[in-house]
Amino acid sequence: MTPVEQIVFLLKAVPVTLAISFLSFLLGLGLGVSLAFMRIYGIAPLRYFSDSYEKFFRSVPVLAVMLLLYFGLGPLLPIFKDPFFTSVISLGIVSGANQSQIFRSAISSVGRTQMLAAISIGLTQLKALRYVIFPQALFLAVPGLGSEIALLIKDSAYSFIIGVIELMKHTDILRASQRSLILPYISSAIIYVVMTFPVANYLDKWGSRKKRELGL
Amino acid sequence: MTSILECRELMKAYGKVIAVNNVSLGIGRGETKVIFGPSGSGKSTLLRCLGLLEKPTKGSVYFNGVDVYVSKQDLNKLRARIGFVFQEPSLFRHLTALGNIMLGLKHVSGLSDAEARRKAYEALKLVRMEDWVNYYPAQLSGGQQQRVGIARAISMDPEVVLFDEPTAALDVELKWEVISVMKDLADRGTTMLVATHELRFAKEVADEMIFMDQGQVLEVGSPDHFFTSPNTERARKFMAKILG
Amino acid sequence: MLFLLDYSTFLINGFIITVEVTLIGVGLGLILGILAALGDIFGGRIIKIIVNVYVEFFRGSPLIVQLFIFYFTIPMITGIRMDVMLTAILTLALNSGAYQKGYLKGAMEAVFKDQLMAALSLGLPTWKIFLYVVVPQALRIVIPAWSNELASMGKSTTALIVIGVREFLNTGISITAQTFRPLETYAFITIVYFIWIYSMLKALDMLYNKIKIPGLEPVI
Ligand SMILES: Nc1ncnc2c1ncn2[C@@H]1O[C@H](COP(=O)(O)OP(=O)(O)OP(=O)(O)O)[C@@H](O)[C@H]1O
Ligand SMILES: [Mg+2]
Repeated sequence: MTPVEQIVFLLKAVPVTLAISFLSFLLGLGLGVSLAFMRIYGIAPLRYFSDSYEKFFRSVPVLAVMLLLYFGLGPLLPIFKDPFFTSVISLGIVSGANQSQIFRSAISSVGRTQMLAAISIGLTQLKALRYVIFPQALFLAVPGLGSEIALLIKDSAYSFIIGVIELMKHTDILRASQRSLILPYISSAIIYVVMTFPVANYLDKWGSRKKRELGL
Repeated sequence: MTSILECRELMKAYGKVIAVNNVSLGIGRGETKVIFGPSGSGKSTLLRCLGLLEKPTKGSVYFNGVDVYVSKQDLNKLRARIGFVFQEPSLFRHLTALGNIMLGLKHVSGLSDAEARRKAYEALKLVRMEDWVNYYPAQLSGGQQQRVGIARAISMDPEVVLFDEPTAALDVELKWEVISVMKDLADRGTTMLVATHELRFAKEVADEMIFMDQGQVLEVGSPDHFFTSPNTERARKFMAKILG
Repeated sequence: MLFLLDYSTFLINGFIITVEVTLIGVGLGLILGILAALGDIFGGRIIKIIVNVYVEFFRGSPLIVQLFIFYFTIPMITGIRMDVMLTAILTLALNSGAYQKGYLKGAMEAVFKDQLMAALSLGLPTWKIFLYVVVPQALRIVIPAWSNELASMGKSTTALIVIGVREFLNTGISITAQTFRPLETYAFITIVYFIWIYSMLKALDMLYNKIKIPGLEPVI
């Protein structure tokens, strides 16, 4: 293969990498938002659950979770025999803990008085959350979510270890087939940087600008 | 009378910007002099050069008649003998009011902990901050912080104290408490060179006022002179603007 | 899980390696981070560019690729082959340094501006300014970010399995290969990581609360 063909071969795996990152981000988003609301507005058992979940999954390596689900649960629950599915789930549940923390601090910086103001005009607590607190919190969460997406793109590389055919796997195939230790790794690293850099930086800038505009 | 602190033909440039140009002035023991002039006229730069915090591009600085940069004296030893109060309070944020003052006493003057503590307390009393000794900067108002900054400078028993617009960042009510502390110091015979726009303060305590514009000293005279009949058009206009 | 007792020495050795590379990686990363931050604050244009390329590369790509590059590519280009542990530690340190540069720069700038001039005006020599003014403040500003960094580095060390370092997760892989009991083994491994990293976070949190000062809050 010519160098160009090699790079094209790497690029062909990018959609899989992005799919893993995107799906696990969505899973993490759902978990994170629910956990954050549970923690702030929930009854005691929910608060306790949310707190423990966050503490636990912020303190364990995603790769260990991946191996546990794939090799440990795979034989018992057939869905975990699928490496793609398993890697999305592992990245997603760990990301849920990170995103819970991001939303928690965003919601708490929106402030208690906003909630009181919303209830005082007759909104129910749930509606106040939906229409007043959450939209503001979302803006505040954007920079954090940007780095979370970047983190997921990078961490998706772990899924090559359980056999997902994504960018890291293609890099490895290339290394073996071309007997080259230089081009595959360097190009692959650059492709990752090109994917993560804009997300993290753009969302960070956008978020800070919005924050200023809204006076939050 | 020889000056404690003096500069001759001092010039300071930042790249192409000439912040201070050909300034010569001196301050003698017990004198209080006020520098004033529009924003960007070079007051802060001049004071930093006199305080040995920046090296002039050209010209010389004399401390007690000795050319500082020719004699190759230890600058840190000289700096300890020149007090400096900044426009922003510039307190060390990890130390209490007392700790801020003790730092220099212990680690520059070499006093024991107990001596430094006693002396720092005295200095805080002088600026009427003795009830706030154990507060951190973030827990103090701007005026209180600035008074601690003054206490920190005078605690080292400097031979001269330079003030760089110490009240510029403060609200009107807070300005007064700082000004009154500075008046006390002047009355006690402290040698002071003060950049300020507080012309009432200047009128009451200054032996001499120095008007700066565009990096140069344009006019020098007594407060009476400036309040009644300044020579230059610029000084007259500037006085009128400040006095409203 | 009792069968794991048979492998206790093996597991303990793996765990020690994990803790070692984490602490050494973050420690060396701190030095690199300080240098990079100083370079970005005080350096000329060229130095700033070098610092930023370094930071973006190490923050933007997966640790796995970085490990491959340092284990395979660089020895290939330079002809210098390093011991695998040395490669691991070097890569972790460079990776950590890139992350630490960010908040160290913030912490330094927070201290640098006005207070350095104030310290200078008191006649403090440079090393005393560093010791009594910069360090005590930067430390307090940095500890929360630092505990994040330790936790994330502790978790990232699992990537070292790709170059064959016998760290904690890797011992789990070997044990699984011998016992065919992946569920218990990986569950055990995961729980040990949790206990270790969580207590590290708690300890630093307690330290921070002990030395924190009003008005000296972290920059992150
Ligand atoms: N560190 C610096 N780097 C570059 N330019 C500087 C620096 N310090 C001052 N200047 C420039 O030098 C000139 C004089 O500034 P200086 O701060 O001394 O004026 P000032 O009279 O103290 O003004 P103000 O009343 O606003 O404090 C200005 O044009 C300023 O932009
Ligand atoms: Mg000024």
